[in-house]
Amino acid sequence: MIDQLGNGLLLGIIISVASVALSLLYSVTRIVNFAHGEIIALGAILTLFFSNPVDSRVIYLDRFSPLGMDFFISAALAVILCGVFGGLLELCLFRPLRKAEVGNIAILVVTIGLSIFIRHLYLIFATGRVQNFPLELERRVTYLFFDMTPRNFRVLIAGLVVMVLIGLFLTFTRIGKAMRAVRDSGELASISGINSDNIILFTWISSSMLAGLAGIFQAIINDVRYNMGFLILLLIFAGTVLGGIGTSFGAMVGGLLIGIFVQVSVAFPFMEGHTEAKNAVALAIMIVILLFRPQGIFGQKERIS
Amino acid sequence: MSNKLLEVKNLKKTFGGLKAVDIENLSFNKNELTSVIGPNGAGKTTFFDLVSRFQQQDIGEIYFKDKKITKSQPYKVSRLGLIRTFQLTKVFDRMTVLENLMFSGSSIKNDSFFQSIISTSSSKKYEKGLKDKAFEIMKDLNIEKMSESYARELSGGQKKLLELGRSLMKNPELLMLDEPLAGVNPKLAEDLLEKIKNLSDQGITILMVEHNIEAVMKISERVVVLAEGQVIAEGSPQDVRNNNKVIEAYLGTADE
Amino acid sequence: MKISSKWITTILLTFLSIALVFVLNPDGQLRILANLLTFAGIYALAAIGLNVHFGLTGLLNFGHASFMGVGAYVTLLLIPHAAGREGEINENGLPFLAALAIGIVAAALFGLLLGLPAMRLRGDYLAIVTIAAAEIFRLLIRDLESITGGVYGIINFSDALQKYRPVFFDEAVARLDLAPAQIWVGLLSWLTVFIVLLLLKRLSASPWGRALRAVREDEDAVRALGKNAVWLKLQSFMLGAGIAGIAGVFLAFNYGSVQTTIFVPLLTFYVWAIMILGGVGSLTGPIFGSIIFWAIISETDKIASLIFENADGQQLAGVRFMLVGLLIMMLMIFRPSGLLGKKEELLLNVK
Repeated sequence: MIDQLGNGLLLGIIISVASVALSLLYSVTRIVNFAHGEIIALGAILTLFFSNPVDSRVIYLDRFSPLGMDFFISAALAVILCGVFGGLLELCLFRPLRKAEVGNIAILVVTIGLSIFIRHLYLIFATGRVQNFPLELERRVTYLFFDMTPRNFRVLIAGLVVMVLIGLFLTFTRIGKAMRAVRDSGELASISGINSDNIILFTWISSSMLAGLAGIFQAIINDVRYNMGFLILLLIFAGTVLGGIGTSFGAMVGGLLIGIFVQVSVAFPFMEGHTEAKNAVALAIMIVILLFRPQGIFGQKERIS
Repeated sequence: MSNKLLEVKNLKKTFGGLKAVDIENLSFNKNELTSVIGPNGAGKTTFFDLVSRFQQQDIGEIYFKDKKITKSQPYKVSRLGLIRTFQLTKVFDRMTVLENLMFSGSSIKNDSFFQSIISTSSSKKYEKGLKDKAFEIMKDLNIEKMSESYARELSGGQKKLLELGRSLMKNPELLMLDEPLAGVNPKLAEDLLEKIKNLSDQGITILMVEHNIEAVMKISERVVVLAEGQVIAEGSPQDVRNNNKVIEAYLGTADE
Repeated sequence: MKISSKWITTILLTFLSIALVFVLNPDGQLRILANLLTFAGIYALAAIGLNVHFGLTGLLNFGHASFMGVGAYVTLLLIPHAAGREGEINENGLPFLAALAIGIVAAALFGLLLGLPAMRLRGDYLAIVTIAAAEIFRLLIRDLESITGGVYGIINFSDALQKYRPVFFDEAVARLDLAPAQIWVGLLSWLTVFIVLLLLKRLSASPWGRALRAVREDEDAVRALGKNAVWLKLQSFMLGAGIAGIAGVFLAFNYGSVQTTIFVPLLTFYVWAIMILGGVGSLTGPIFGSIIFWAIISETDKIASLIFENADGQQLAGVRFMLVGLLIMMLMIFRPSGLLGKKEELLLNVK
C-alpha cells in the first residue's frame, strides 16, 4: 500500500493542478467546461509533436513530421500555446455566447460538443496509438517511503510548487484578488472598476496553461493518448466535488485525495483482479459525497437550485 | 391556538462574517397587514428566505401556525399555507398565463403521473374548476386578456400581477410579498395596493417588503423596520415614521 | 397539424438525406434503407426518452447509454441466452414480454438511484453524476464477467423475440430479399415509438406534464407553490430511463449480441445529437432527427476516405465523431430549436 501511496501522490498532484484550473474557470465564468480534458491533452500532444525526433516513425496526418526540439522548450511552448488556445476559445466562442445571453445549460452542452469535436480531431491528427515522450527510461529510486523514478519525483515537486504559487498568486496579487472578487460577485466587481471581461480572458488563459501543464505531467508519468483528457476528466470532477466546488484550496486538496484514493484502492482485497476499475472507486466516492455533503470538504453550502 | 401566525426566535444568519439577519424575537399576528421596511441590505429578503425556508439559518427557531418549521423544506411550508413571492419575479416564462395559474392551483393528486394517464371524469371536472378559478383571479387582476400569452411576453407589472394571482390560487393563510410594487407604473401600483388591502380585509395575513414608503404608510396596520439584520423599530406606521432610529437608518451614518 | 415551414423543411431534408444514401450506394439500396431505418427507429426511441429528461423537464443527462444498457442486460439475462468466454448456456428464462417489463423497471430504478444524489442540486451536478454512473456501469459490466459475460458478452438470445414473427411476415420480407430478423426488430421499434409518442402526447398536455414544464422553468417557484420539485424530477427521470431501456433492448436484438463496447458514451452523444437535431421538446422531432442523422452519418465514412488518403478505420470513425461534436455545437449555438422544436420554447435564455 505504501507503494501505491507514491503513485497516488503523483496522480493526485496532477488531478490537483487540473482541478484548480477547472475550478477557477468555473468560479469566474460559471461554466462547467467539459472540454477541459481536451486542453489537458493538448499540452501533452503538442509537447509530443514538438519534441519527438524528426525521423521517428510517428506520422501525423501523413504530412507533418515532429520537430525534434528540446524537451523542456517543447513543454514550455506547449503550455504557452495551450494558454493561447484557451484565450481564443474565450474570444471567439464563449464571449460571443455570453454577450448573446445564451444560458448556462446551452453553454454546457456546447462544451460537450466541443470536447467530442476536439478529441476526435486529436484522433485524426495523432492517431489512436499510445505514444510516449522521447525521454530515457529511468530506474526507480527510494524517496522517504516510496519508490519512484527521479523524473516522476521531479514532477511531484514541480506540481507542489505550482500549487503553492497558485495559492500565493490568488491571495496576494491584484489580479488574483480581482479574480476572487469576480467569483464572489460579478456585478459588484464591475462596479468597483474591475473589468470582468479581461478577468475572464485572463482566467481562460491561465486555466488552459495549467491544464496543459497537467497534461504534460500526466504524459510524463504515463503516456500520450488522444483521449487522455476524457479519461482523467471524471477524476477531476470527483476531486473538485470532494474538495468543494468554488474553492481553489478545496480543489487542490480534493484532487490530491482522489488521486491517493484511486491508487491506494488497488491494494484492497476486493479490488483483486479488477484494478482497472479503480477509477470507479473515485466516482463512487463522488456520488456518495453528493448525497450527503454536496458542498464537499471546504465548500460553502449553496442554495438548493 | 395563539394569535401569532408566524414567529421567529433568536434567528441569526451570517454570510462570510457579515451579519445578514439577527432577530431575537419577532412575530406576526393573524389578519394583520405588516410591512417590513429598511435600507438596502438590511436583511429583508434574507428574512423572507429564512422564513419560507429557501435559506438555512445559522441558529434560531421558526414557528408557523404554532408548528415548528425550523428545518422544514420550502414546499412543505408552502403547503401549510405560507405563500411567498419573489423580488425578481419568477413566472414560468415558456408557459401561458393560464397554465401558470392552473399549475399553481392544481393539487398534488391532480398532478400525479397515474392520474394524468387515466384521465377520469372527476379529474376533468377538477381541471375545469381550476380553469374557472384562474379566470376569476385573472379578471380580478385585470390580466384576463393575456390568458393565452406566454408569461415571458408580459410587462414587468403584469408579471407581478401574475405572481400574485398564482399565490392566490393557493388560498394562502400567510401571503408574503417581496416588493410587490417594484418596477410597476404608478397607476398600476395604486390598483395593486388597493387589491392587497382588499385581500387583507378578506382575512389573509399579509407580510410585505416594500421600499415605497408612501404605499407602506397608506395600508399597513403594522410596520417593522430592519437595519443591518436587526429590528430597530416596530409599531404603527405613525410610530415608526417619527422614530429617530429609523430616520437615522435611512439617512445613513458615515461611520460604518 | 398545420403544414408550417419547419415541417416542410424537415420532410424535405429527410427525403434529401435518404436520397443521398441512394445516390452514394447504387447497389443493395433496399437493404441499406432497411438497415438505416431500423437503427433510426431504435435511436429515435432513445432520443424520445432523453427528450423527456431534457426537453420536458430540463434535466441534463449525459449517461443515457447506461439506461439503455441496464434495460438490455437485465432483459437479456432473464431470457434464454449464452454468456461469457465459454458461451455458457442458460436455457431457462422468462417469456420475452415479462423479461422486457422487468428490464424497463430496472432501467427506471437505475434512474431513481442516479437521481437521488443529484436532483436536490443544480443541473450541472446531474450531468457529472450521470457521466460518472455510466462509467461505473461500463466497468461493472466488464468486470462482473460471470454474470454479464464481460467483454465476451451475451449471445444466442434472439430467438426469444424472433419466434413471434408471423409466417406471412417472413414470406413478404423474403420476397423483398431482406433479412426478416432485422426487419422484425425495426418494425417493433417503430411500433413502440408510436405507442410511446401517443402516451407522451397525452402526458405533456396533462397536469403532470404541466408540472414538469414548470420545474423546467423555475424550480424555486415550484417549491414556493407547494410542489415537491425533486420528486417530480425523479418521476420524469424514471420515465425517460424506462423508455431508454426499451431502446437498449431493441438495440441488442438488432445486433444479436451485446458486450461492453455498445453502451458507451459515444452512444449517449449520438442520442444527444439526434435529440437536438430533431428539436428539443418536440415530440416527433426525434423521428426525423434520427433518420436524417443516420443517413448522413452512414455516409461520412465514404466522404472521409475521400479527404484522407491513408486513414485507418479508427481515424475514419474519428471523422464521424468530429461531425457529431460539431453538429451538437452548431445546433446549440445557432439553432437550438432544431428541426421541429418550438421557437418560443428556445433554450437560449434559460439560465
